[in-house]
Amino acid sequence: MRFLALVKRELRSIRREKTIMFAVFIQLFIAAFSSFLMIGVMSFYNPESIGENARIYVDVGVVGEIGSPVAYYVEKSPSITVRRFDDIETAEEEFRSGRVDALMAILPESSGVVEMKLILPQSDAESMLITMALDKPLKEAENYLRRQNGIDLLYDDLEGKPYTNFEFLYSIIIPVLMFFPALIAGSITIDTISEELQNKTLDTLWAAPVSLWGIFSAKIFTAGITAVAQCILWIGLLRMNSLSIHNIPLVLLFALLIAFCVSFGAGIIAVAFKDRERAQFVYSVGLVTVAGLSYLVNPSPFELMARLAAGGQFVGLLQVMSYLLPLFLLGSAFFLFSKRLAAA
Amino acid sequence: MSSILTIARREITRLRSRFTGKSRIAVFAIILLAAVVGYVVYQQDIGMSRHLYTVGVSSDAPPITDERFKTIEIDPYEGFQQLWEGKLDLYVWGDDVSYQHSSERSLYALGALKEYLEKYEILRISREYEIDQAFPLRIEARHLKVEDEITSGHGLGTLADILEPGPTPDPGAISPDPAAKTDDAVRQQLEEFRTSGTLPEFEAEFVSDEEILIPSLSRPPIPLAQVVLTFLYVIPIFLVGVFFTSSFMEEKINRKLVVLLSAPVTPFQIITGKMIPYIIYSIIAIIAITIALSGDILLSLAIFIPVSMFIFSALLMVALLYRTFKDQTFFSIMAAWMVIAYLITPAMFTGLSDVSYFSPLTLAIQVYRDEPIGVMEYLLATVPLYLLFSVTVFMGVRVFNEEYLMGFRPMHRKVAEAINLIMDRNHLSFSVMLVSLIFLPVVLMIQFASIIIGMNLPATLPDSVSFAVIFPLAILSEEIAKSSSVAVLLQNRAIGSMRSVIKYSFFAALGFFIGEKLLLYLTLSVVSETMFVEAALGSGWLILPLAMHFVTTGAVCLLSARFGVRFYPLAIVAGAIIHGSYDLIIMRGEIF
Repeated sequence: MRFLALVKRELRSIRREKTIMFAVFIQLFIAAFSSFLMIGVMSFYNPESIGENARIYVDVGVVGEIGSPVAYYVEKSPSITVRRFDDIETAEEEFRSGRVDALMAILPESSGVVEMKLILPQSDAESMLITMALDKPLKEAENYLRRQNGIDLLYDDLEGKPYTNFEFLYSIIIPVLMFFPALIAGSITIDTISEELQNKTLDTLWAAPVSLWGIFSAKIFTAGITAVAQCILWIGLLRMNSLSIHNIPLVLLFALLIAFCVSFGAGIIAVAFKDRERAQFVYSVGLVTVAGLSYLVNPSPFELMARLAAGGQFVGLLQVMSYLLPLFLLGSAFFLFSKRLAAA
Repeated sequence: MSSILTIARREITRLRSRFTGKSRIAVFAIILLAAVVGYVVYQQDIGMSRHLYTVGVSSDAPPITDERFKTIEIDPYEGFQQLWEGKLDLYVWGDDVSYQHSSERSLYALGALKEYLEKYEILRISREYEIDQAFPLRIEARHLKVEDEITSGHGLGTLADILEPGPTPDPGAISPDPAAKTDDAVRQQLEEFRTSGTLPEFEAEFVSDEEILIPSLSRPPIPLAQVVLTFLYVIPIFLVGVFFTSSFMEEKINRKLVVLLSAPVTPFQIITGKMIPYIIYSIIAIIAITIALSGDILLSLAIFIPVSMFIFSALLMVALLYRTFKDQTFFSIMAAWMVIAYLITPAMFTGLSDVSYFSPLTLAIQVYRDEPIGVMEYLLATVPLYLLFSVTVFMGVRVFNEEYLMGFRPMHRKVAEAINLIMDRNHLSFSVMLVSLIFLPVVLMIQFASIIIGMNLPATLPDSVSFAVIFPLAILSEEIAKSSSVAVLLQNRAIGSMRSVIKYSFFAALGFFIGEKLLLYLTLSVVSETMFVEAALGSGWLILPLAMHFVTTGAVCLLSARFGVRFYPLAIVAGAIIHGSYDLIIMRGEIF
């Protein structure tokens, strides 16, 4: 009962300061800009994806062997319009005036090899987009020429779906959305604990018949449940956008366990350093370190969350519950640190 | 100046005292650990999608070493059974791949496996066939100058020079070079392909002149270098900034700020004195990063010093506005996101639109690509940041008093109090104009965010829903920005008569109008092919928008004066309705 009273006190404080509103606003802000950022970040995940996600339309001029199969494959691409020129001067004029974005000067085939010169504008960004648009048709043309040269290509007829969006959604976006509230929960834990320590308001709380560990645990519990509330909000928003998440109860349970692990870790740092400035700095650097270290675990938290959300095989309750062990260890360490602080 | 330096020295001492004895060892240890872990993880080359797909393989299937696939060796009968039951995403038997037609996941897995197997296939054909047979398409990339491009050293000459170096090229004179010339390039790229198999590393330049591209061996460039630059330069500045905001927090708790305020130093000296050490740390970080990237230090400083001042403007606002520890955390995160969004979003259009010059990151990208930058572009990217910094410091100086900094009150009251403190009672007309001007970037940011939120609504909803989100938010934010100063004056009983309300409403509208048009002018001076041209042409007479701003601001302020400031939200709605009606009439050709 006393524990619940403390949790209610923390929730009241969050509501009064409108802190949770800021957290939600930040996440909505991130989401709002995600469509812009997504193209950029996804291009690091897979540079070819920019062609899938951005509508690129390119006008390409062809000179030389204008009937070459290379020109035919480029013309087949829905994002490219091909214009054929009989003379170099007209092609150059059209290119320089910006009416065509790039020129392909195709030389006659020699010993089964086709050489061509690709004339690009000086702007690297434009050149990059043009080469992106040309990438697939040129690969198709290359395979055609290979077949002409008597090479029997395997796997050429396989037709899958462009996978980058799928992998990016489940491997990056969903784990980030599910773990970002845990990051916030850790920050809230440091703020609330160091606020009590620095403002010396802990003495007042001690007058109540509750242990220091009980007081701090209530703070961590509150941070954890606000994290899960945010995860539920995210899942709702993703479903509104017709993005399916599998194993929702397990995803939420896992997000909760991670939020508690992060919060207990943050609590240890706050109690150890006793002031917000150092605690937040160490927490930020420490979180990055632990996130990096976690990749050495198999399955890593990011990987487990991705596979759970994508409905993957061989992951389930057992893997999620294995995170009870670090939670127990961190909780115990936090208990010991709190006891030491109470004794001091 | 000596007072500023004294405060700066005191700030360095304070920061040093935070990290002494055991805590210094702990902090260094954790930074060292972070560096070691970062290096180890980088060396491990761990992908983000490990074991995302489950693939059954027969004993004679090609080896699948891509870590995205969790492979299980299984005989064909069992494999097809499990594929049918959805326990496997794919089943690979010999050279064939089976998948579930009805499963999206299986189709994505097939797309990913096809790409992997194509690479495997390239290695096979390169072993089994002659180089000319296996790699029959060779592309030499060359650059030519387009009319509106700035010459940057390469790509000079004519198309004829490139195609046929010689005195008199003619259309039929394109003669093939011997394929042997490009064979070396194929061999080299094939060797790289055999040994690497990893994602390409960051390179600022994409396709260099005379580079030979082999389609199946070409490694796609990493575009949008602005995202990398943001994280390399901006994040360290934010980490330094954590200590700047914390400094205010600590001094509030220790009540040292009260002591400082009673000392013979001005608020300007306190703010700049506290800020200087952290700006110097940021400059050191900028230099170190530039050296690591082998960049031009002076140009990097010219670009990133305004960026760091922009970041410190945001952090100063955080330091002035927060009330509790939790506020500080959330305001800091929000400030970081807003700054990153402001810097990244325009820079996404680098090379595509001149809008990108709103972000200094665009300049940085050009510098790293050895492209020249113009004076006007530099000014457009950096002057707003210097201005914002000056305005923030000015606001900081105005609100820097004990009661404001130490008091806890709801956020809207805290903002209203800040507006009240910013205004100079001896120059009220100018102050009212200034407040409208100051709010202009905030309005732009809200309008920009509302457009993006509107664009992010589910595609199934009609366009009118997006319009219904964007339009009211845009109008309401403008009306609040224009009328807030007069509302604050009314609340503080600094003005009372209807005549003075009308007078200051006019100045508030004028301030907003000047800012709006100034921004338009600045934009037009650099941006040539954007919506701003349409906006400029569409606005017709200048007097009409000014009259509209005056009428709507006047309506809001007069209603607030007549019925009391507690009805200010309703007055805003009334003003927004007038504003909205005006906009709909102006835009009727576009939307009806």
